Amino acid sequence: MKKKMNSYLLTGLIITGTFLLLALIGQFWTPYVPTDMAYGRFQAPTLSHPFGTDNFGRDILSRVMEGAGTTFFIALLTVSLGAVAGTAVGAVTGYFGGLLDDILMRLNDALTAFPSFLLALLIVSLIGPGKKLSVILALGLVFIPSFARVMRSAFASLRTANYVTGARLMGAGSSRILFVHLLPNTFKVFLPAFTIGFNNAVLAEASMSFLGIGVTPPDASLGYMLSEAQSMLRAAPWYAIFTGLTIVFLVFGVGLIGEGLQLMEGEEG
Amino acid sequence: MKDACLYILKRLFLLLATMILVSFLTFLAFRLVSGDPVRTMLGTEATAEQVEALRQELGLSDPFLLRYVHWLKGFFSRDLGVSYSYRQPVWDLISGKLTLSLLLSLLSFALIVAISIPAAIASYRFTGPISGWPRTILNQLGMAVPPFFTGILFSWVFGITLRLFTPGDFPGFQTDALASFIHLFFAACCLAIPRIAMTIRMMRSSLISEMNKTYVLTAISRGNDRKTVLRRHVLKNALVPVITFLGQTLAELVGAGIVVEQVLGLPGLGRFLVTSITHRDYPVVQAIVVILAFWVVLSSLLADLISQAIDPRLRTAALAKGGTA
Repeated sequence: MKKKMNSYLLTGLIITGTFLLLALIGQFWTPYVPTDMAYGRFQAPTLSHPFGTDNFGRDILSRVMEGAGTTFFIALLTVSLGAVAGTAVGAVTGYFGGLLDDILMRLNDALTAFPSFLLALLIVSLIGPGKKLSVILALGLVFIPSFARVMRSAFASLRTANYVTGARLMGAGSSRILFVHLLPNTFKVFLPAFTIGFNNAVLAEASMSFLGIGVTPPDASLGYMLSEAQSMLRAAPWYAIFTGLTIVFLVFGVGLIGEGLQLMEGEEG
Repeated sequence: MKDACLYILKRLFLLLATMILVSFLTFLAFRLVSGDPVRTMLGTEATAEQVEALRQELGLSDPFLLRYVHWLKGFFSRDLGVSYSYRQPVWDLISGKLTLSLLLSLLSFALIVAISIPAAIASYRFTGPISGWPRTILNQLGMAVPPFFTGILFSWVFGITLRLFTPGDFPGFQTDALASFIHLFFAACCLAIPRIAMTIRMMRSSLISEMNKTYVLTAISRGNDRKTVLRRHVLKNALVPVITFLGQTLAELVGAGIVVEQVLGLPGLGRFLVTSITHRDYPVVQAIVVILAFWVVLSSLLADLISQAIDPRLRTAALAKGGTA
């Protein structure tokens, strides 16, 4: 049962780990105070300010380290919300089937008939733009259908397995079968879906904050910082480049983890 | 043939039903949260008469369902109501922007199809320098670059430095067709890059799983070479799941275009949607949402029809189900 580690998974874990470590450190300590405007305006990257400074003379590396935490935190909460709710829906519909399955899956189809980013945008604008909580809620809701679909087929394909029949014959109830027997076996489907969802969450949150509807100051996420950076592209291109590269770094790392996980399960040819 | 017509008719009917559902839900959602648009428009110092007059003018004094039916009737004659902030018919405001957004989506879709399908076949056939991990790394990197970041990089490199276009200043096709096209082209590239990476990956794994099937073995054992088998037998089959994926991509492009339009300063539908959302101009938001939903449903219908044209098995399956799919 022990699966072999592969180089994609390892590289992905190292990259994501580095990101997470820097983001975590950024919550407690940054090289400079992120809001301090004392380091000279529009300074190109130097050894003392590796990412340069912005229009107020703030150290960009310190700001990126702080913003990375916000981005990571929001993406993780969002995807967890979508994953837990989606798995619950998928488990119930996939295992029991029947009328509830039909209704929920039709609803799912109707929701998919709509660009998810647009839907999230509308939900945020309805429940209150500019707040962390509404971004998490809106994106989390939008991610439920895709998780529900994936998990439904995982549960549906396992419900006729011999060990399920065995457990039922031994008198196990539906909830025991679902949680103890089936849930651990859906993990190999769940994990890659989780990494893809996480990346979508990072990109969606960044796009939303970029448009000024997602996270707004004092909470600075990387997306919001990018929109700020765009207005000073001429004077300080390094601001946009380093902030954008930080997002790419995270998405790339998590993407490699997903790739590695799939390879481990032998799904990739 | 008669069955096929019936099937398409049924799908069109389903499309209409989806649209009506979507429009009703958005109507309801805005009704529930929007507050009183008249108060917002007139400010706090308006008299009761002024409020009442404007409310009559905008048709807000009617009951909810009547307003919805009225709106729906108007929608089919391109009368989408009047914008709260511009006091102009919504259709006049959005028609030009709609064209631009559609152009952007179609151009970037054309790029995706034209680049990713040959590239996927090439990446399957050549196991030379870009195989194994460099291919995966390149692929993952392509997927990791968000369109708004590419947009910023493009406006820095091609806009500010090389002066190929002016970021934030779209000339319009009437004024300067070439400059407008270049501007649009860069925007389309931003949108296309991550999706090209995804499509290549999808198409490649589809090719691999198709090539492992027994009919390929049969064809090869009868003396055909792999290249011919790939071109004449495998390609069509491998394309079917990719076409469904491309249909979803086409649908998503309009939504994804919002950010790119914002970054590169294209006066498209998405950008207008964002400003309308922030100004709470609900007739405009409503109209755009329904139009985009129409686009999404239409793209998935197109994808289904094309897959069925390619794969006869899907055709018979769809007809056997009586077109309820």
